[in-house]
Amino acid sequence: MNTERKGKKRRGVEQVQARWGWYFVIPAIVFFSIFSFYPIINAFTLSFFKKNMISPIPPRFIGLENYIYVLQSSDFWNSVRATLTFTLGTFIPLVIASLVIALLITLQGRNFRLWQLLYYSPAVLSSAVAALIWMLIFTPTGIANQFVNTLRNTSGMDMRWLSSGEMVQISTMIVYFWKYIGYFTVLYITGITKIPAVIYEAATIDGASRSQAFFKITLPLLKPTTALVSIVAMLQCLKTFSTQFLFTQSGAPKAPINVITLNIYNTALKDYNVGRASVMSILLFVTMLILTIIQLKVSRSDDVTY
Amino acid sequence: MMSKAISPGASKLQFSLGIDIIIRILLLLFAVIILVPLVFMVTASFMPSSEITHMPYRWIPSRIAWNNFYRALAGNDGSFVYIRNILNSLFVSVTVAFTTVILSSITGYSLAKFNFKGKHIVFMGIMMTMMIPFETIMVPMYMVALKLGMQNSYQGLIVPFMMNAFGVFLMRQYLQTFPKDIMDAARIDGCSEPKIFRSIVFVNSGPAIASLAILTFRQQWDNLMWPLMIAQDKKFKTIPTYIVSFAEEKLSDEGAMMAAALIASIPVIIMFLTLSKYFVGGSSVYSSGKE
Repeated sequence: MNTERKGKKRRGVEQVQARWGWYFVIPAIVFFSIFSFYPIINAFTLSFFKKNMISPIPPRFIGLENYIYVLQSSDFWNSVRATLTFTLGTFIPLVIASLVIALLITLQGRNFRLWQLLYYSPAVLSSAVAALIWMLIFTPTGIANQFVNTLRNTSGMDMRWLSSGEMVQISTMIVYFWKYIGYFTVLYITGITKIPAVIYEAATIDGASRSQAFFKITLPLLKPTTALVSIVAMLQCLKTFSTQFLFTQSGAPKAPINVITLNIYNTALKDYNVGRASVMSILLFVTMLILTIIQLKVSRSDDVTY
Repeated sequence: MMSKAISPGASKLQFSLGIDIIIRILLLLFAVIILVPLVFMVTASFMPSSEITHMPYRWIPSRIAWNNFYRALAGNDGSFVYIRNILNSLFVSVTVAFTTVILSSITGYSLAKFNFKGKHIVFMGIMMTMMIPFETIMVPMYMVALKLGMQNSYQGLIVPFMMNAFGVFLMRQYLQTFPKDIMDAARIDGCSEPKIFRSIVFVNSGPAIASLAILTFRQQWDNLMWPLMIAQDKKFKTIPTYIVSFAEEKLSDEGAMMAAALIASIPVIIMFLTLSKYFVGGSSVYSSGKE
């Protein structure tokens, strides 16, 4: 064997290896073509066609008709409003609260792991389970009402968490906030621990006080992490589905929490209107693509901070 | 990554003991608030339904209602299909984790260690798919799956998630530092390329593989939307879809609902308690992976 190998030209070995390199990526090329590229191209083309999900009639080209219909329908704009309300109402509190908790955990400097695990634990549950637990907490006799009544020193007041249009929006935000607070806290802690000790040492030598070090070093150096966490949180909120789905299936009013993914799902699988569902998919895709590109830019600038 | 290296920077910032204690009390207070719903789920699953809706809520069950678990498992029609659904969830999540680990590492290995024409394009192409959220392609993907005859089948639940771009990215990053000398030595000894991958590269990528496997397992365990579309037949439902239909039909049986929720959570809670390093670490991998 050895002598045979030595006899071969170096180039021949490289060619053999290049071929193996190709063999190893073939499964990936096949997989991503079928389950990523074909569907996204298909979503784009189908948005110009009239197509019923279950009828055998082939799709009929109708130009921009789907786009015009969707952009003029109040149902779509209600979904945009619901999604934006949810996203803003969820990701801003999430970012602020996870920053505060991460700072508190690192400032007290002990038992990092234990604190992280405590806060992370809701993220372990599946979204359907999380929504189910909160559905019972939000019932008229549930502990959410009892908690509010204790705080306000009232009795028997019903906040109508799941039945009033305004409250049900807040309820979905609370579920999401609860589930993901630990996740973003962990991201922040990673960002805080990345700040090199040398910077603090230099500041201490220059006579900076602890609070000065905190306000002049820690907070400003967390800007890139904050940008990253914000966009990751925003992207996740735009995709929210499970809580809204479970709540509406169990009788909560649909219109206030009819987020865009829920609308796509219902348009495609209840109304069988593939074309209109595709239009909404493409609009969501473009929105998220822009945010992702911003995210990539932000995380790249992350590297040159220190 | 985080627990061992107690923040070098932040430790310089430590305050006096008094402030430290105040901070810890605050942290404890927040943690209690975060944990209340979990405690509620566990206690309510052991309570008769009348007690769950009792105001004020008593946190300790007066008697243990094992019956809740029976009704949760028996389901609306007494068919015990939930047991099968739990096994479905386990089977699908484990299989997807397994295929993802293998396919992603073989692809990542090729992209990290081989030189061939078009490699850059292949890599960019795979990375681009990370920008396509599942929610935006689920409708055409569903139609692909219908065409392939995958409705109400395990293939339908598994095949569309057999690998993912993030896994490829993670394995490529990890394997880039893998010493090439070892591979070359094996080549000189006449070892075939698939064997080098199988018995040298793959078996030595433990930490990355463990993180990826757990991340993928959890994604599938949590997957609601796709099983909702592809598995209308009760027999092929997974835990999240069972929970949805159970909640719809048994709206007034709070005890059974919480029992079903607790049963659904036990496998991941066990994983979390034993493998917490990979859970918490996995999410930081996600952020640092984007650098």
